[in-house]
Amino acid sequence: MYADRDLETLMARYQQGDFSAATALIQRLSPQLHRFFVIQFASRGDADDLLQETWLRIHQARHTYRAGEPVLPWFYAIARHIRVDHYRKASRSKSKEDRLDELPELPAAPEKEAGSTADLEALLATLPQSQREVVEMLKIVGMSLEEVARATSSSVGSVKQKAHRAYEKLRDRMGRPGSLARSAKAPRNG
Amino acid sequence: MDNIDEILNHAAAAPHPVNPALLDSIARSIGADLRPVRPVPPRWLLTGGLVLVAAAIATAGAAVLGFHGVQNLTAIDRALLFPLLALLLWLAAAACVGEITPGSRRFVSPRFLLVGGILSLLAVFAILFRDYQTINFLPQGIACLTAGLLIAVPTALGVWFVLRRGFAVNPVSAGTVAGTLAGLAGVAMLELHCPNFEVFHVMLWHTGVVLVSAAAGAWLGILRNAALRQ
Repeated sequence: MYADRDLETLMARYQQGDFSAATALIQRLSPQLHRFFVIQFASRGDADDLLQETWLRIHQARHTYRAGEPVLPWFYAIARHIRVDHYRKASRSKSKEDRLDELPELPAAPEKEAGSTADLEALLATLPQSQREVVEMLKIVGMSLEEVARATSSSVGSVKQKAHRAYEKLRDRMGRPGSLARSAKAPRNG
Repeated sequence: MDNIDEILNHAAAAPHPVNPALLDSIARSIGADLRPVRPVPPRWLLTGGLVLVAAAIATAGAAVLGFHGVQNLTAIDRALLFPLLALLLWLAAAACVGEITPGSRRFVSPRFLLVGGILSLLAVFAILFRDYQTINFLPQGIACLTAGLLIAVPTALGVWFVLRRGFAVNPVSAGTVAGTLAGLAGVAMLELHCPNFEVFHVMLWHTGVVLVSAAAGAWLGILRNAALRQ
Protein backbone atom coordinates (compact mmCIF):
# COMPACT_ATOMS: atom_id res chain seq x y z
CA MET A 1 0.00 0.00 0.00
CA TYR A 2 1.28 3.47 -0.83
CA ALA A 3 0.49 6.83 0.64
CA ASP A 4 -2.34 8.31 -1.38
CA ARG A 5 -0.74 11.78 -1.28
CA ASP A 6 2.35 10.40 -2.95
CA LEU A 7 0.32 8.75 -5.69
CA GLU A 8 -1.73 11.92 -6.17
CA THR A 9 1.45 13.93 -6.67
CA LEU A 10 2.80 11.40 -9.15
CA MET A 11 -0.52 11.39 -11.01
CA ALA A 12 -0.54 15.20 -11.24
CA ARG A 13 3.02 15.15 -12.60
CA TYR A 14 2.08 12.40 -15.05
CA GLN A 15 -0.75 14.60 -16.32
CA GLN A 16 1.80 17.39 -16.81
CA GLY A 17 3.84 15.08 -19.05
CA ASP A 18 6.55 14.09 -16.56
CA PHE A 19 8.04 10.79 -17.77
CA SER A 20 9.75 9.98 -14.47
CA ALA A 21 6.37 10.24 -12.69
CA ALA A 22 4.79 7.93 -15.28
CA THR A 23 7.61 5.41 -14.80
CA ALA A 24 7.31 5.63 -11.01
CA LEU A 25 3.56 4.94 -11.23
CA ILE A 26 4.16 1.99 -13.54
CA GLN A 27 6.80 0.54 -11.20
CA ARG A 28 4.67 1.05 -8.09
CA LEU A 29 1.23 -0.01 -9.26
CA SER A 30 1.96 -2.69 -11.85
CA PRO A 31 2.67 -5.54 -9.39
CA GLN A 32 -0.66 -5.10 -7.59
CA LEU A 33 -2.58 -4.62 -10.84
CA HIS A 34 -0.88 -7.73 -12.25
CA ARG A 35 -1.84 -9.69 -9.15
CA PHE A 36 -5.40 -8.38 -9.51
CA PHE A 37 -5.58 -9.98 -12.96
CA VAL A 38 -3.88 -13.22 -11.91
CA ILE A 39 -6.27 -13.68 -8.98
CA GLN A 40 -9.25 -12.88 -11.19
CA PHE A 41 -8.77 -16.11 -13.18
CA ALA A 42 -6.17 -14.91 -15.71
CA SER A 43 -3.00 -16.88 -16.50
CA ARG A 44 0.33 -15.10 -16.12
CA GLY A 45 0.48 -14.56 -19.89
CA ASP A 46 -3.04 -13.14 -19.98
CA ALA A 47 -2.25 -10.97 -16.97
CA ASP A 48 0.78 -9.53 -18.82
CA ASP A 49 -1.45 -8.64 -21.79
CA LEU A 50 -4.15 -7.20 -19.54
CA LEU A 51 -1.59 -5.13 -17.66
CA GLN A 52 -0.29 -3.65 -20.90
CA GLU A 53 -3.81 -2.92 -22.11
CA THR A 54 -4.69 -1.34 -18.78
CA TRP A 55 -1.74 1.05 -18.92
CA LEU A 56 -2.62 1.96 -22.49
CA ARG A 57 -6.18 2.78 -21.38
CA ILE A 58 -4.89 4.62 -18.29
CA HIS A 59 -2.68 6.69 -20.57
CA GLN A 60 -5.59 7.53 -22.88
CA ALA A 61 -7.85 8.44 -19.95
CA ARG A 62 -5.29 10.17 -17.69
CA HIS A 63 -7.00 13.55 -18.08
CA THR A 64 -10.15 12.15 -16.39
CA TYR A 65 -8.36 11.97 -13.03
CA ARG A 66 -9.11 15.02 -10.88
CA ALA A 67 -6.60 16.21 -8.31
CA GLY A 68 -7.76 15.52 -4.78
CA GLU A 69 -9.78 12.43 -5.69
CA PRO A 70 -8.53 9.03 -4.45
CA VAL A 71 -6.08 7.54 -6.96
CA LEU A 72 -6.46 3.80 -6.45
CA PRO A 73 -10.20 3.61 -7.25
CA TRP A 74 -9.48 5.47 -10.49
CA PHE A 75 -6.82 2.91 -11.49
CA TYR A 76 -8.86 -0.09 -10.38
CA ALA A 77 -12.04 1.10 -12.11
CA ILE A 78 -10.11 1.05 -15.40
CA ALA A 79 -8.38 -2.26 -14.62
CA ARG A 80 -11.73 -3.80 -13.74
CA HIS A 81 -13.21 -2.55 -17.01
CA ILE A 82 -10.34 -4.19 -18.95
CA ARG A 83 -10.83 -7.42 -17.00
CA VAL A 84 -14.59 -7.53 -17.62
CA ASP A 85 -14.00 -6.82 -21.31
CA HIS A 86 -11.40 -9.59 -21.50
CA TYR A 87 -13.76 -12.01 -19.77
CA ARG A 88 -16.55 -11.22 -22.25
CA LYS A 89 -14.22 -11.59 -25.23
CA ALA A 90 -12.95 -14.91 -23.87
CA SER A 91 -16.49 -16.17 -23.20
CA ARG A 92 -17.60 -15.20 -26.70
CA SER A 93 -14.67 -16.85 -28.46
CA LYS A 94 -15.09 -19.92 -26.26
CA SER A 95 -18.77 -20.18 -27.16
CA LYS A 96 -17.84 -19.89 -30.87
CA GLU A 97 -15.28 -22.66 -30.46
CA ASP A 98 -17.83 -24.77 -28.61
CA ARG A 99 -20.24 -24.40 -31.49
CA LEU A 100 -17.54 -25.45 -33.99
CA ASP A 101 -16.36 -28.50 -32.05
CA GLU A 102 -18.85 -31.26 -31.65
CA LEU A 103 -17.01 -32.57 -28.63
CA PRO A 104 -15.51 -29.57 -26.92
CA GLU A 105 -12.26 -30.11 -25.10
CA LEU A 106 -12.02 -29.14 -21.48
CA PRO A 107 -10.33 -25.77 -21.09
CA ALA A 108 -6.66 -26.03 -20.22
CA ALA A 109 -5.87 -25.36 -16.60
CA PRO A 110 -4.36 -21.91 -16.18
CA GLU A 111 -0.67 -21.73 -15.42
CA LYS A 112 -0.37 -21.74 -11.68
CA GLU A 113 1.75 -19.23 -9.92
CA ALA A 114 4.31 -20.49 -7.52
CA GLY A 115 3.96 -19.18 -4.01
CA SER A 116 1.53 -16.79 -2.46
CA THR A 117 -0.52 -15.79 -5.51
CA ALA A 118 -1.36 -19.43 -6.23
CA ASP A 119 -2.34 -19.95 -2.60
CA LEU A 120 -4.47 -16.88 -2.64
CA GLU A 121 -6.00 -17.89 -5.94
CA ALA A 122 -6.89 -21.29 -4.47
CA LEU A 123 -8.39 -19.64 -1.40
CA LEU A 124 -10.51 -17.21 -3.41
CA ALA A 125 -11.40 -19.60 -6.23
CA THR A 126 -14.60 -20.69 -4.53
CA LEU A 127 -15.97 -17.15 -4.47
CA PRO A 128 -18.07 -15.53 -7.19
CA GLN A 129 -16.24 -12.92 -9.24
CA SER A 130 -17.87 -9.92 -7.56
CA GLN A 131 -17.03 -11.14 -4.04
CA ARG A 132 -13.51 -12.15 -5.05
CA GLU A 133 -12.65 -8.69 -6.36
CA VAL A 134 -14.08 -7.01 -3.26
CA VAL A 135 -12.02 -9.22 -0.93
CA GLU A 136 -8.93 -8.64 -3.02
CA MET A 137 -9.29 -4.87 -3.10
CA LEU A 138 -10.07 -4.67 0.62
CA LYS A 139 -7.56 -7.14 1.97
CA ILE A 140 -4.74 -7.42 -0.56
CA VAL A 141 -4.63 -3.93 -2.05
CA GLY A 142 -5.66 -2.36 1.25
CA MET A 143 -8.35 -0.06 -0.10
CA SER A 144 -11.07 1.34 2.17
CA LEU A 145 -14.75 0.41 1.80
CA GLU A 146 -15.38 3.81 0.21
CA GLU A 147 -12.55 3.31 -2.28
CA VAL A 148 -13.76 -0.18 -3.25
CA ALA A 149 -17.26 1.21 -3.72
CA ARG A 150 -15.85 3.85 -6.07
CA ALA A 151 -13.76 1.33 -8.02
CA THR A 152 -16.66 -1.06 -8.47
CA SER A 153 -19.33 1.62 -9.11
CA SER A 154 -21.41 0.41 -6.20
CA SER A 155 -22.44 1.57 -2.75
CA VAL A 156 -20.50 1.10 0.48
CA GLY A 157 -23.39 -1.04 1.76
CA SER A 158 -23.14 -3.35 -1.22
CA VAL A 159 -19.37 -3.71 -0.73
CA LYS A 160 -19.87 -4.54 2.97
CA GLN A 161 -22.49 -7.12 2.06
CA LYS A 162 -20.25 -8.77 -0.55
CA ALA A 163 -17.30 -8.86 1.84
CA HIS A 164 -19.47 -10.34 4.58
CA ARG A 165 -20.82 -13.06 2.28
CA ALA A 166 -17.35 -13.81 0.97
CA TYR A 167 -16.03 -14.25 4.52
CA GLU A 168 -18.92 -16.55 5.37
CA LYS A 169 -18.14 -18.70 2.34
CA LEU A 170 -14.42 -18.76 3.10
CA ARG A 171 -15.06 -19.71 6.75
CA ASP A 172 -17.38 -22.45 5.62
CA ARG A 173 -14.81 -23.69 3.11
CA MET A 174 -11.96 -23.61 5.60
CA GLY A 175 -14.01 -25.39 8.22
CA ARG A 176 -14.33 -28.47 6.05
CA PRO A 177 -11.89 -31.40 6.24
CA GLY A 178 -9.02 -30.99 3.75
CA SER A 179 -9.59 -27.26 3.78
CA LEU A 180 -7.58 -24.68 1.93
CA ALA A 181 -6.07 -23.32 5.10
CA ARG A 182 -3.13 -25.70 5.07
CA SER A 183 -2.24 -25.12 1.42
CA ALA A 184 -2.69 -21.38 1.75
CA LYS A 185 -0.37 -21.26 4.75
CA ALA A 186 2.23 -23.56 3.19
CA PRO A 187 5.81 -22.23 2.92
CA ARG A 188 6.35 -20.06 -0.16
CA ASN A 189 8.42 -21.27 -3.07
CA GLY A 190 9.52 -17.93 -4.40
CA MET B 1 -11.04 -11.96 13.42
CA ASP B 2 -10.06 -15.42 12.22
CA ASN B 3 -7.27 -16.98 10.23
CA ILE B 4 -8.76 -15.88 6.89
CA ASP B 5 -7.40 -12.42 7.64
CA GLU B 6 -4.09 -13.96 8.58
CA ILE B 7 -3.90 -15.78 5.25
CA LEU B 8 -4.93 -12.73 3.26
CA ASN B 9 -2.50 -10.46 5.13
CA HIS B 10 0.27 -12.98 4.57
CA ALA B 11 -0.50 -13.11 0.85
CA ALA B 12 -0.72 -9.31 0.67
CA ALA B 13 2.70 -8.93 2.23
CA ALA B 14 4.31 -11.39 -0.19
CA PRO B 15 5.93 -9.74 -3.22
CA HIS B 16 4.42 -10.24 -6.65
CA PRO B 17 7.21 -9.52 -9.11
CA VAL B 18 6.38 -8.52 -12.68
CA ASN B 19 8.75 -9.09 -15.58
CA PRO B 20 10.96 -5.93 -15.69
CA ALA B 21 11.07 -6.16 -19.50
CA LEU B 22 7.28 -5.86 -19.56
CA LEU B 23 7.39 -2.77 -17.34
CA ASP B 24 10.09 -1.24 -19.54
CA SER B 25 8.01 -1.92 -22.62
CA ILE B 26 4.95 -0.26 -21.01
CA ALA B 27 7.04 2.75 -19.96
CA ARG B 28 8.51 3.09 -23.46
CA SER B 29 5.11 2.94 -25.19
CA ILE B 30 3.68 5.54 -22.78
CA GLY B 31 6.78 7.73 -23.07
CA ALA B 32 6.46 7.78 -26.86
CA ASP B 33 3.14 9.64 -26.56
CA LEU B 34 3.60 11.62 -23.36
CA ARG B 35 2.44 15.21 -23.45
CA PRO B 36 0.74 17.41 -20.86
CA VAL B 37 -3.03 17.01 -20.61
CA ARG B 38 -5.66 19.29 -19.12
CA PRO B 39 -7.72 17.50 -16.44
CA VAL B 40 -11.47 17.38 -16.99
CA PRO B 41 -13.41 20.30 -15.40
CA PRO B 42 -14.77 19.98 -11.85
CA ARG B 43 -17.80 17.79 -11.30
CA TRP B 44 -20.12 20.68 -10.33
CA LEU B 45 -19.28 22.58 -13.50
CA LEU B 46 -20.02 19.63 -15.77
CA THR B 47 -23.23 18.83 -13.88
CA GLY B 48 -24.37 22.44 -14.10
CA GLY B 49 -23.49 22.52 -17.79
CA LEU B 50 -25.59 19.43 -18.49
CA VAL B 51 -28.60 20.79 -16.59
CA LEU B 52 -28.26 24.06 -18.48
CA VAL B 53 -28.11 22.27 -21.86
CA ALA B 54 -31.15 20.10 -21.06
CA ALA B 55 -33.19 23.05 -19.70
CA ALA B 56 -32.24 25.31 -22.62
CA ILE B 57 -33.20 22.74 -25.26
CA ALA B 58 -36.49 21.89 -23.50
CA THR B 59 -37.41 25.58 -23.17
CA ALA B 60 -36.41 26.32 -26.78
CA GLY B 61 -38.55 23.38 -27.97
CA ALA B 62 -41.53 24.62 -25.96
CA ALA B 63 -40.99 28.16 -27.24
CA VAL B 64 -41.23 26.91 -30.81
CA LEU B 65 -44.33 24.76 -30.15
CA GLY B 66 -45.97 27.16 -27.66
CA PHE B 67 -46.19 27.25 -23.85
CA HIS B 68 -49.77 25.96 -23.82
CA GLY B 69 -49.22 23.42 -21.07
CA VAL B 70 -47.61 25.59 -18.44
CA GLN B 71 -50.12 28.38 -19.08
CA ASN B 72 -53.00 26.05 -18.18
CA LEU B 73 -51.39 24.59 -15.07
CA THR B 74 -52.29 25.98 -11.65
CA ALA B 75 -49.63 27.46 -9.41
CA ILE B 76 -49.73 24.33 -7.22
CA ASP B 77 -49.30 22.10 -10.28
CA ARG B 78 -46.28 24.12 -11.36
CA ALA B 79 -44.83 24.14 -7.85
CA LEU B 80 -45.01 20.36 -7.68
CA LEU B 81 -44.10 19.38 -11.23
CA PHE B 82 -41.21 21.63 -12.21
CA PRO B 83 -39.12 21.31 -9.03
CA LEU B 84 -39.43 17.52 -9.39
CA LEU B 85 -38.25 17.74 -13.00
CA ALA B 86 -35.39 20.04 -11.97
CA LEU B 87 -34.35 17.60 -9.23
CA LEU B 88 -34.46 14.63 -11.59
CA LEU B 89 -32.49 16.55 -14.23
CA TRP B 90 -29.84 17.42 -11.64
CA LEU B 91 -29.59 13.83 -10.40
CA ALA B 92 -29.35 12.49 -13.95
CA ALA B 93 -26.72 15.09 -14.85
CA ALA B 94 -24.66 14.24 -11.74
CA ALA B 95 -24.95 10.53 -12.55
CA CYS B 96 -23.82 11.23 -16.14
CA VAL B 97 -20.72 13.02 -14.90
CA GLY B 98 -19.98 10.12 -12.54
CA GLU B 99 -20.30 7.61 -15.37
CA ILE B 100 -17.57 9.27 -17.44
CA THR B 101 -15.16 9.62 -14.51
CA PRO B 102 -13.50 6.32 -13.49
CA GLY B 103 -13.53 5.65 -9.76
CA SER B 104 -16.03 8.35 -8.91
CA ARG B 105 -18.57 8.06 -6.11
CA ARG B 106 -21.92 6.78 -7.31
CA PHE B 107 -24.81 8.53 -5.58
CA VAL B 108 -27.52 6.80 -7.56
CA SER B 109 -27.42 3.75 -9.82
CA PRO B 110 -28.62 4.11 -13.44
CA ARG B 111 -31.42 1.60 -12.85
CA PHE B 112 -32.58 3.31 -9.68
CA LEU B 113 -32.47 6.69 -11.40
CA LEU B 114 -34.57 5.42 -14.33
CA VAL B 115 -37.10 3.47 -12.27
CA GLY B 116 -37.25 6.02 -9.45
CA GLY B 117 -37.54 8.90 -11.92
CA ILE B 118 -40.38 7.28 -13.83
CA LEU B 119 -42.24 6.25 -10.65
CA SER B 120 -41.96 9.71 -9.12
CA LEU B 121 -43.23 11.30 -12.35
CA LEU B 122 -46.12 8.83 -12.47
CA ALA B 123 -46.98 9.58 -8.85
CA VAL B 124 -47.00 13.35 -9.41
CA PHE B 125 -49.05 13.01 -12.61
CA ALA B 126 -51.55 10.79 -10.80
CA ILE B 127 -51.87 13.39 -8.03
CA LEU B 128 -52.14 16.43 -10.31
CA PHE B 129 -54.36 15.32 -13.15
CA ARG B 130 -57.96 14.18 -12.71
CA ASP B 131 -59.22 13.91 -16.29
CA TYR B 132 -59.68 10.19 -16.93
CA GLN B 133 -60.90 10.49 -20.54
CA THR B 134 -58.93 9.01 -23.41
CA ILE B 135 -59.97 11.11 -26.41
CA ASN B 136 -57.71 10.62 -29.45
CA PHE B 137 -55.48 8.59 -27.17
CA LEU B 138 -53.21 7.08 -29.83
CA PRO B 139 -52.75 9.96 -32.33
CA GLN B 140 -52.19 12.55 -29.59
CA GLY B 141 -49.98 10.16 -27.69
CA ILE B 142 -47.76 9.40 -30.66
CA ALA B 143 -47.50 13.12 -31.44
CA CYS B 144 -46.32 13.82 -27.86
CA LEU B 145 -43.93 10.86 -27.82
CA THR B 146 -42.41 12.00 -31.12
CA ALA B 147 -42.11 15.60 -29.97
CA GLY B 148 -40.48 14.50 -26.70
CA LEU B 149 -38.00 12.29 -28.50
CA LEU B 150 -37.22 15.09 -30.96
CA ILE B 151 -36.10 17.11 -27.93
CA ALA B 152 -34.24 14.14 -26.44
CA VAL B 153 -32.04 13.74 -29.53
CA PRO B 154 -30.43 17.22 -29.51
CA THR B 155 -30.16 17.01 -25.70
CA ALA B 156 -28.25 13.74 -26.04
CA LEU B 157 -25.96 15.39 -28.58
CA GLY B 158 -25.43 18.28 -26.15
CA VAL B 159 -24.64 15.80 -23.36
CA TRP B 160 -22.12 14.08 -25.59
CA PHE B 161 -20.52 17.43 -26.43
CA VAL B 162 -20.17 18.47 -22.78
CA LEU B 163 -18.83 15.07 -21.71
CA ARG B 164 -16.81 14.22 -24.83
CA ARG B 165 -13.48 14.19 -22.94
CA GLY B 166 -14.72 11.66 -20.39
CA PHE B 167 -13.99 7.95 -20.23
CA ALA B 168 -16.95 5.65 -19.64
CA VAL B 169 -15.82 2.44 -17.96
CA ASN B 170 -19.30 1.04 -18.55
CA PRO B 171 -20.75 2.34 -21.85
CA VAL B 172 -24.13 0.64 -21.30
CA SER B 173 -24.60 2.27 -17.94
CA ALA B 174 -23.37 5.63 -19.26
CA GLY B 175 -25.72 5.36 -22.25
CA THR B 176 -28.68 4.56 -20.00
CA VAL B 177 -28.03 7.57 -17.77
CA ALA B 178 -27.45 9.92 -20.71
CA GLY B 179 -30.66 8.61 -22.32
CA THR B 180 -32.55 9.19 -19.06
CA LEU B 181 -31.29 12.77 -18.89
CA ALA B 182 -32.21 13.42 -22.53
CA GLY B 183 -35.64 11.85 -21.99
CA LEU B 184 -36.24 14.06 -18.94
CA ALA B 185 -35.53 17.09 -21.12
CA GLY B 186 -38.20 15.76 -23.49
CA VAL B 187 -40.69 15.42 -20.62
CA ALA B 188 -39.87 18.94 -19.42
CA MET B 189 -40.64 20.30 -22.89
CA LEU B 190 -43.93 18.37 -22.99
CA GLU B 191 -45.00 19.72 -19.60
CA LEU B 192 -44.33 23.23 -20.83
CA HIS B 193 -46.06 22.68 -24.16
CA CYS B 194 -48.76 19.96 -24.03
CA PRO B 195 -52.24 21.21 -23.05
CA ASN B 196 -53.64 17.67 -22.88
CA PHE B 197 -54.12 16.93 -19.17
CA GLU B 198 -55.78 13.53 -19.53
CA VAL B 199 -54.09 11.46 -16.87
CA PHE B 200 -53.52 8.34 -18.99
CA HIS B 201 -52.11 10.41 -21.84
CA VAL B 202 -49.62 12.14 -19.57
CA MET B 203 -48.69 9.00 -17.64
CA LEU B 204 -48.10 6.81 -20.67
CA TRP B 205 -46.90 9.04 -23.48
CA HIS B 206 -45.02 11.73 -21.58
CA THR B 207 -43.29 9.32 -19.22
CA GLY B 208 -42.70 6.95 -22.15
CA VAL B 209 -40.24 9.48 -23.58
CA VAL B 210 -37.84 8.77 -20.66
CA LEU B 211 -38.16 5.03 -21.08
CA VAL B 212 -37.63 5.04 -24.86
CA SER B 213 -34.75 7.50 -24.60
CA ALA B 214 -33.02 5.49 -21.84
CA ALA B 215 -33.48 2.28 -23.84
CA ALA B 216 -31.95 3.97 -26.90
CA GLY B 217 -29.01 5.14 -24.77
CA ALA B 218 -28.47 1.64 -23.40
CA TRP B 219 -28.62 0.21 -26.92
CA LEU B 220 -25.99 2.70 -28.11
CA GLY B 221 -23.86 1.63 -25.14
CA ILE B 222 -24.20 -2.00 -26.17
CA LEU B 223 -23.14 -1.10 -29.72
CA ARG B 224 -20.17 0.84 -28.34
CA ASN B 225 -19.15 -2.16 -26.22
CA ALA B 226 -19.37 -4.45 -29.22
CA ALA B 227 -17.31 -2.03 -31.32
CA LEU B 228 -14.63 -1.82 -28.62
CA ARG B 229 -14.43 -5.61 -28.48
CA GLN B 230 -13.87 -5.98 -32.23
